[in-house]
Amino acid sequence: MKKMINVTNILFILILLLELLPDQRIAANSGYLVALVGLIHLYYMLNFIFRKDSSKVETVGDVTAIVYGVLLLWELSTAKLNLVGEMLYPAPGPVIALFMAEIPEFLKGLASSIQLLLAGYLLALVIAVPLALLIGWRQRLFKAVKPLTKVLGPIPPIVFIPYAIGILPTFKTASIFVIFIGAFWPIFINTLNGVFSVEKKIVDSAKALNISEKSMLFEIILPATLPSIISGSTIGLVLSFILLTAAEMIGATSGLGWYVKYFSDFADYPRVIVGIIYIGIVVTGITHLFDKLEAYLLRWRK
Amino acid sequence: MAKIKLKNVSFGYNDGFSVINNVSISVLEGEFVSVIGPSGCGKSTILNLLAGLNFPTGGSILLDGRRIVGPGSERGVVFQHYSLFPWMTARQNIVFGLKQVNRAKTKKELEKVAAEYLEQVGLREFADKYPAQLSGGMQQRVAIARAFAMDSDILLMDEPFSAVDAINRMALQELLLNLWDNGAKRKTIVFVTHDVDEAILLSDRVVLMSAGAGMIKDDMAIDFKRPRNRTALLKSAAFSELRNTMVDLLYDDLLEQNGVEAAL
Repeated sequence: MKKMINVTNILFILILLLELLPDQRIAANSGYLVALVGLIHLYYMLNFIFRKDSSKVETVGDVTAIVYGVLLLWELSTAKLNLVGEMLYPAPGPVIALFMAEIPEFLKGLASSIQLLLAGYLLALVIAVPLALLIGWRQRLFKAVKPLTKVLGPIPPIVFIPYAIGILPTFKTASIFVIFIGAFWPIFINTLNGVFSVEKKIVDSAKALNISEKSMLFEIILPATLPSIISGSTIGLVLSFILLTAAEMIGATSGLGWYVKYFSDFADYPRVIVGIIYIGIVVTGITHLFDKLEAYLLRWRK
Repeated sequence: MAKIKLKNVSFGYNDGFSVINNVSISVLEGEFVSVIGPSGCGKSTILNLLAGLNFPTGGSILLDGRRIVGPGSERGVVFQHYSLFPWMTARQNIVFGLKQVNRAKTKKELEKVAAEYLEQVGLREFADKYPAQLSGGMQQRVAIARAFAMDSDILLMDEPFSAVDAINRMALQELLLNLWDNGAKRKTIVFVTHDVDEAILLSDRVVLMSAGAGMIKDDMAIDFKRPRNRTALLKSAAFSELRNTMVDLLYDDLLEQNGVEAAL
């Protein structure tokens, strides 16, 4: 029973006690906070009771404690003591309530954003990888192209946004173009360097087997370069998210980035915060899937 | 006619640095020849030239009387590291090699052959492991299995056991000799090593390279009868004498190259 007295549980009790204090704001909606905290604690208690690995339970508890700490301070400084302006700093309650209510909007925005993201990113992947494999494999081409990548690669893709919007017919095509540029360079450069750094003895072993050039590129060089391709693709993915959101904030009429900009123009900060949380969830989800894919593709590594 | 013939072979770089100078070696069919020498003597370069991975800047290399023009499936290669492709399992590595020489067979047939050879090297249960999951000794066993599975006439081995611990090295040497002696026809093996004991134990002939100059110092026949008993051989006087002769030759050369007076 001694283990029951820990930081997580103490903070949980504190939050519940906090709710006994009167609200200093009218629209505090504290019920939602209590519900959320209740659900989190249920998850924690289930871990506590059923999970065997005690160090994992400890970690779950620690993370939960940090979350509680943040929620505690948030509720305290807004709903309970009103230390900060209500306009700019909503309390947790209204934010949680809105989070649930805006889910249909979220799904609409998600569909719109994902289309652009996938189009730009996949286009970059499909062009950058084979191109880099080919160029990396041929000495002379590699030497010619490498200095160019050092000049063109570092240009922040955001600067292309206004120009892209000007020259391309629709906002959608402009966004896809910018996302493409943003994802292309990291994938291309990493793959290029990856080919260059494939262990020479592996190439020799392959050459000694007298395989065709096509077989060399696709069955040897490609898998050997996969770690570099994936690290380049990860960077490309992150940049794609950033550029997507930036592009939407500048010229879109739908999407998650647009949502945040639109409501910030109206100073509807609860919705702004909810929008940010939505974007956070999407990015986390996609990155998580990507990590799983990486673990599978690179399962042969130590 | 010799199976392999290096005729006055030289290899050097554009800046004039010469790695191998006027080397001539003949290897008969079914012979096991070791090339031994200190680091930097050019022995690995000779192997690369034989494998067709590099081309001599002077002289010629003949296989069955014909000049080689590049790699070929009649020559199997085993390196010290990275003989296997890390993203393929042991089985897949062997199947990949088999595919290059057996284009007619189906995947199932190839996998069956691969399994047989994995069995022969004692790694049947490790067929689906990746190289990173295997020890260095096991990786080399898979590399050997692949080379024998491909049934090339010639085996070129570049210090294949040097990165392996002493115990595993002995096991690998036994394995190699067993596989070599087992088939209907003995393969021709060119074996690069820096280990004198290993060279004497395994080979019919030992070619000693001189330090630094990229030239042959000596070419000695090993007359011990096969199958060779390691323990008996290592204890015999004849072995010690031969070994000491070789070590002296190599050591003196090294001292001379480094300009150091012999201390002992």
